[in-house]
Amino acid sequence: MISVKHVSMVLPAAGRSVTILDRITFDIPAKQTVAIVGPSGSGKSTLLGLMAGLDRPTTGSIQLDGIDITAMSESQMARFRREKVGYIFQSFHLIPTLTAIENVAVPLELSGERHAGERAAELLAAVGLSSRMEHYPVQLSGGEQQRVAVARAFACRPPILLADEPTGNLDSSTGAHVIALLLSLHRDHGTTLVLVTHDTTLASSMQRVLSLRDGRLESDSMPSYSGSISDVTTDSPRKNQVVPADRSLSDSAPESRV
Amino acid sequence: MTSFIINMAWRETRAAWRHFLYFLVCIAIGVGALTGVSLFGAQVEQAVTKEARGLLGGDLEVRLSRPISSTGQEVLDALTDRGVALTHVSELVAMAARAGSSGSGQPTQIIELKAVEPQYPLYGTLRLEPQSDFMDLLRQQTRRCPGRTCFGVVVQESLLIRMGLTVGDQLRIGQGLFIITGVVRTEPDRMANAFSLGPRVLMSREGLRTAELIKVGSRMRERYLLKVPSTMAPEPLLYELRERLALDAARVSSYRDAQPQLKQSLEQLTRYLGLIGLTALFVGGLGVATSVHAFVREKLHTIAILKTVGADSSTIIQTYGLQAMILGLGGSLVGLMIGVLLHQGLPWMIAALMASDLLDQLGFTQGGIALPLAPLAKGLVLGILSTLLFTLWPLLTIRDIKPARIFRRDVAPLASSSASDRTRWWIFWKGLDPAKAITSIGIGLGLALLSIWQANSWRVGLLFIFAFAAAVLLLGASAHLVLGTLKNGPRPEALILRQALGNVVRPGNQVVNITIAIGIGVMVVTTVSLVERSLLAQVSENRPTDSPTFFFIDIQPDQAEGFVGLLHQQSSDQAPKLTPLVRSRLAGLKGEPIKIEATSEEEEQKEKAAQKEERRKKWYLTREYVLTFLHDLPKDNKVVRGEWWKPEQIFTKPLISIEEDAAKQLDLTVGDTLELDIQGTPITGEISSIRQVEWGNFSTNFYMIFSPGALDGAPHTYVATVRVAPSEEVALQQAVVASFPNVTAINMGDVLDSFAKVLDRLSLAIRAVALFCVLSGGLVMAAALAATRYRRLYESVILKALGATRSMIARSFAVEYALLGALGGLLGCALASVLSWAVLETVFDLSWNLQPAVLAVGVVATIILTMLVGFLSTYRILGQPPLSVLRQE
Repeated sequence: MISVKHVSMVLPAAGRSVTILDRITFDIPAKQTVAIVGPSGSGKSTLLGLMAGLDRPTTGSIQLDGIDITAMSESQMARFRREKVGYIFQSFHLIPTLTAIENVAVPLELSGERHAGERAAELLAAVGLSSRMEHYPVQLSGGEQQRVAVARAFACRPPILLADEPTGNLDSSTGAHVIALLLSLHRDHGTTLVLVTHDTTLASSMQRVLSLRDGRLESDSMPSYSGSISDVTTDSPRKNQVVPADRSLSDSAPESRV
Repeated sequence: MTSFIINMAWRETRAAWRHFLYFLVCIAIGVGALTGVSLFGAQVEQAVTKEARGLLGGDLEVRLSRPISSTGQEVLDALTDRGVALTHVSELVAMAARAGSSGSGQPTQIIELKAVEPQYPLYGTLRLEPQSDFMDLLRQQTRRCPGRTCFGVVVQESLLIRMGLTVGDQLRIGQGLFIITGVVRTEPDRMANAFSLGPRVLMSREGLRTAELIKVGSRMRERYLLKVPSTMAPEPLLYELRERLALDAARVSSYRDAQPQLKQSLEQLTRYLGLIGLTALFVGGLGVATSVHAFVREKLHTIAILKTVGADSSTIIQTYGLQAMILGLGGSLVGLMIGVLLHQGLPWMIAALMASDLLDQLGFTQGGIALPLAPLAKGLVLGILSTLLFTLWPLLTIRDIKPARIFRRDVAPLASSSASDRTRWWIFWKGLDPAKAITSIGIGLGLALLSIWQANSWRVGLLFIFAFAAAVLLLGASAHLVLGTLKNGPRPEALILRQALGNVVRPGNQVVNITIAIGIGVMVVTTVSLVERSLLAQVSENRPTDSPTFFFIDIQPDQAEGFVGLLHQQSSDQAPKLTPLVRSRLAGLKGEPIKIEATSEEEEQKEKAAQKEERRKKWYLTREYVLTFLHDLPKDNKVVRGEWWKPEQIFTKPLISIEEDAAKQLDLTVGDTLELDIQGTPITGEISSIRQVEWGNFSTNFYMIFSPGALDGAPHTYVATVRVAPSEEVALQQAVVASFPNVTAINMGDVLDSFAKVLDRLSLAIRAVALFCVLSGGLVMAAALAATRYRRLYESVILKALGATRSMIARSFAVEYALLGALGGLLGCALASVLSWAVLETVFDLSWNLQPAVLAVGVVATIILTMLVGFLSTYRILGQPPLSVLRQE
């Protein structure tokens, strides 16, 4: 389903180049659930973004469903993404100017679906939010926002769901609820699920765990057969929590806030 | 896909309409200015065409500057046999004096007299008060002045006001006594000149005879108005009369070419006002671009999310483009309303330009003419097209937004935000990738085409867009330069200054576009002031101290001696100057006779197609020349070729000294001969010298001066120029009117006053439209500041949290806005000086002077304006309590 070959990513930052991903290669068969783990700055999110075609790797190729997405133009990629990939963010990233139902309807409308509104309502009902359809993101709790985001990601029934720390901004019980939702989609529709996480429990509930460190693939394991994940996740989890929180503040320069 | 674009555009507009208020108003202001001007222009055009016969007074008009010859009269008389209706109108300038003890205003007044026949007017209506029969009012009034012959006159109300008279009072004009029987409100065929020497007085031909004003060589205009039966085409008759009345030097014109001057000057006024309106629209366009640019930056996350869920760049560009078009449409519609309001105001401002109640005549005040649709449609299209052109560039930056980089948490955010600041979208020529290069060329072409369309001329449109682009470039480059200097210069010690300067030069600042917008607005308004001031200075301050107070015209030769005696008696001017005047037309050049007017259709067409240069030449050929004969070279005249005649020189033939420009246009040089027609008598002279004349010296100046004795026996009058103290003016004028009723006194002070008044109204109209440019400039600044609102908010609460008071923050804002204003104001005023120099040199042919006072006012007013605009758009930030803002972070 997903085939990553020799993918490297080098970005200029503060006048020098930083290697974020270094020759990563792996394959994910259809209907597998995969966790990508690793300390902050190890390149997990970038890797996930590249798999969704949100950016182009510096070198290497990525195939989704047998199609090389690295060769696609931006607009080809956007159309391809609409059909094949659902994407979920840690900080939900709903469009603040749209209501919950409108947010879910966006990908449907983009695909030219005729009954986008009805379908969006069904999806929201499925994630238990039928009473909050006309609410704006600011009027929803974090867990509710993430459920809207899941409904939006799954709106076009993509065969691949990519989630970037989907529970990172949620408390544990709400997070568990969202994960249950994702797993049920996998179970009911055979969706390939790849998520980036810090949460060891969450990682261990996936069929496979890819571990990154400094932009390299450190280990690739099936948790039921190997204990190697604990090496990664016990690596000062506190520090891992603090740094991204800091960064997310500096990310949001006031004027770029919507 | 389409439904997504429409849905999304609607949802975003719903959410961000407040943000787009600036956008909307920017477009509305520009479209308003343009539409108001074009509505006015269209209505004038429509009305002038519709009322053309009324404005001329007939289908055809025969005009002479002296009484018609008997053969000419026969030609005209014969016309009645062909069913042509004919009426005779005489117009001249004269003096009116109060008769008896009535009245409290000035005792004498210069008037524009018009004597008419019962058939008048053939077209249009004469509105009088009281509304009784016109000829009844003008007939002899035996009952009111028993024992004397006195006729009725109807006068313009201003005469009553100036002389303190009422209807029923008596008036002395020339040798006649008259009774004011009514007031004239509108007169269809009063020449719509910018200047009028005095109020209108209408009388009958019999009345004119009793005034005994028409003497040999008097300044007058004889008009014969013709109404051609509907079965007859006027054109053949036009050419026939031109041929048959050639000996009378008559000008024959048809209603189709009526008021060419009026039409032309109104067209020109409308064109330039339109270009100022276009400037307002383009400045507003900068505001639109700023708004959209800021909007795109605010929407970075939304755009990145949309891209993540599968929207491609073109879909997103179309979405926000559609949104912009909706707003552009909304703004344009609001603009149309502003335009209609402006259109109601403009005629009022321009009305005073016309001596007569022209606009009243044209039906402006009655609202008789429906709003023409074309200017409204044009305004709408211009508004939407400019929106499109000005939003294209900022919308294109959507393509550069990479979702992965916006959401990336693996590395610190890149310097991408400052990089996008560097894509200064208004620097069209710096397009790096082909799409942007093509777009920028398209935008440039589009703006040029809009300008050409608005100016209705390739030349003027291109000139305008180049000048606009040059101004934008100069302002942009200067702002860059200043910004660079400030960035690299030392930071001031004081916190407030440092904070203000920091805000000005910080990355992502909007200084360049604020400077451009403010600078252009300031430039336009200041240029109007500078030009007006220069024109006024030319006629008032630069007026020589010895320039005459009075011009007395139409002094008959037998009155000359007595007149000089009176002047000696009544004024302190010891050397009043009497100059003989002879009215004439050119009859031949170097032995070749001159054909004055086209006598066939083909010639007419050829003349109309002629270049400006040739038309100017034609003007020199056909105009009336007032000649004189003098012993001495007049002052401010310089012989540049040939020689002035020597004292005691014996003249074997008439010699002529001709003015330089006339010689050039007529292609004459020393030794050439010239034939002139003096009231029917031809005289030939040889050019002996060419003179340079200082026309602006407020003295009597001549194109042609004959040698002494050459014009002996020719019908002539004298003009006297006198300089008297202001206290002597009234008494002198009164004495002259009493002793020489046929002599007209023209007071230079009054003439200059009315010139100043016309100029004042003209600049009021121009300034009213120019104000829209300033308004746009202010809006652009407000829009640009609004774009920095969040950052300012964030910073000001941090400063507050650190202990800064509200007043400290306010002061730092004040200094920042003052800096912006000073920059825009100084640059705008500098450009205004350049532009006013160009206007004075090319349009008015006047020299340019630095006018520090006007410029200083311009700069100070700009600073005040920017501080005002700045505070209005940011004052809410000052009151924000820090915690509520910081908690959201």
